Amino acid sequence: MLDLLREIERELEDGWEAASRAELQQAEETRRSVARVARTFLIVVLILLVFSSDRLMNWVNGFEVGPLQNGVVALAGTWSEQMSKNGFNEPAGQVRDGMTELRGTGWPEVRSRFDNERARTREGAKLLRGMLSDQPG
Amino acid sequence: MLFPTIEFGIFFLIVFAVSWAVRWTPGVRKLVLLAASYFFYGWWDWRFLGLLFLSTLINHIAGLALVRTEHAALRKLIVGLAVTAGLCILGFFKYYDFFLTSFAVVLETAGLERDLPFMQVILPVGISFFTFQGISYVVDVYRGHVKAEQSLVNVMLYISFFPQLVAGPIVRAADFLPQLHRPVGLTRAHVGVGVVLILSGLAKKMVVANYLATELVDPVFFDPSAVGALDLLVGVYGYAIQIYCDFSGYSDIAIGVAALLGYRFLENFDQPYRASSLQDFWRRWHISLSTWLRDYLYVPLGGNRHGDGKTYRNLFLTMFLGGIWHGAAWTFVVWGAFHGGMLALERFARKKLDEYAPAHPGHYGLLTAIGNGAQHFVGIVWTFHLVCFAWIFFRADSLSTAGSYLAGLFRWSDANQYVTPFAVGLILLAMFFQFTPRHLGRWLARGIQWLPSPLLGLLLGGGIWLIWAVAPEGVAPFIYFQF
Repeated sequence: MLDLLREIERELEDGWEAASRAELQQAEETRRSVARVARTFLIVVLILLVFSSDRLMNWVNGFEVGPLQNGVVALAGTWSEQMSKNGFNEPAGQVRDGMTELRGTGWPEVRSRFDNERARTREGAKLLRGMLSDQPG
Repeated sequence: MLFPTIEFGIFFLIVFAVSWAVRWTPGVRKLVLLAASYFFYGWWDWRFLGLLFLSTLINHIAGLALVRTEHAALRKLIVGLAVTAGLCILGFFKYYDFFLTSFAVVLETAGLERDLPFMQVILPVGISFFTFQGISYVVDVYRGHVKAEQSLVNVMLYISFFPQLVAGPIVRAADFLPQLHRPVGLTRAHVGVGVVLILSGLAKKMVVANYLATELVDPVFFDPSAVGALDLLVGVYGYAIQIYCDFSGYSDIAIGVAALLGYRFLENFDQPYRASSLQDFWRRWHISLSTWLRDYLYVPLGGNRHGDGKTYRNLFLTMFLGGIWHGAAWTFVVWGAFHGGMLALERFARKKLDEYAPAHPGHYGLLTAIGNGAQHFVGIVWTFHLVCFAWIFFRADSLSTAGSYLAGLFRWSDANQYVTPFAVGLILLAMFFQFTPRHLGRWLARGIQWLPSPLLGLLLGGGIWLIWAVAPEGVAPFIYFQF
């Protein structure tokens, strides 16, 4: 809103000819894009504050000791606790568990999974063939 | 302040908000970005802020002096002095201890041991990058590719702009300075490109590079004599992917951050492991450095203008010096010399091949297509393995470690410990993206540039959240910070 006012002021000061139509269009697109990115960043911050509060906690725990820092740590601790209590940290925990399982997977497990898949495909193919041969004509 | 940290996130939010709030007064905006860049650099070590300023001041004064004189010899002297000053600063911080240590070894071998003035010089982060940018500015002014900047602030911002300050890409004065004279703007395209590059860069660095480093590459390179050949073979493939994801991830984030501030940097990587020759590889890997070396070293040395012999010599020298630029160690010397030697050999082989079996333009058929395809495939595999061989020297902490690594590649009797399905999966995933359509990123950026802000927020926030959840704890420094 203030940007728009500033644009009008500039036009009045310099005369309408000074600011070309292309420049005005660019200024308008910039204004819209900046507002759009600002809203985007706000959503990003909210998502991370809610769903990654444990990361925030880890970060503030690295602060030096001091009255301000202690206050921030206490505030972040309370926030993280509330988020955990409401289950907002669970999705990240589940993803991390999944990653731990993936990293721990050995070659024998991969081979047995492949064998199972192959057996299932073979069963499916047999079933399909049986269904086709059952069809009359 | 590393890119994938909360500190940098907060810093960038403030810089973004303030720089766009003052966009109506370009002078103030430049001062804001300059203050942010010096703050960013001072966060690493404030003691080197003076060095950054001194380096900039030398180049600025040289630029102004070049404008004020028409005399050819004097102009040469000015550019020579400025380049020498830059290289002396770089040489002192980067190579002083290396040369002294090497000199001490030579004296010891000759039985002439002496007390030498060792100083334990600390390497200022990003010194190689900002020195090269300073040289680029002075030489471009000298060649008339760019006008000398009257404003010290513009030169300071060009050299210290925080997205590229500590690990590139090496931005050219002719690319960046004109952007400082135009009205700055943020378009949907900037936003799309910025979001895609920041997300892809974070994923490459935090997930692929960090996992490969901790689970495969670091243990394998720590003591190559303690592991088997398969570990070593997959370990070097892992390092090839790790260094690519680490460095191109940093470049992606840098280009994306600059885009969100309204500036355009050139591409620094272009799917390098799909290259079918070493020459092709260097057109795709660290493009800003390879083009810098071409324009400011290979061409002044004579390039390919003085016959075959001198062309091979110039290729070798350029890559050899490029190797030394990476660091003060014999491993980098071997790495650069290997690339230089192989590039010269490749050029020689291609020339001979063209003489004996010239290509027949317009003679296309199925067999020709199959032959060309097979040749291309073999070229990709061969180039990738040549590059991997050279990476062993690049990653090893000494020539003896590299030797031990190479010897271990023949020890197939030992069982493997670190080749897990997870590590192999990461390598294959990263290799897959080397062969996806070249403009995949651009298509994605085009697709998301029209998203409304709530969806864009969900995409960016969800993406960062997922990367944080998937990535290992902690943030390892980027490999190229040491250069």
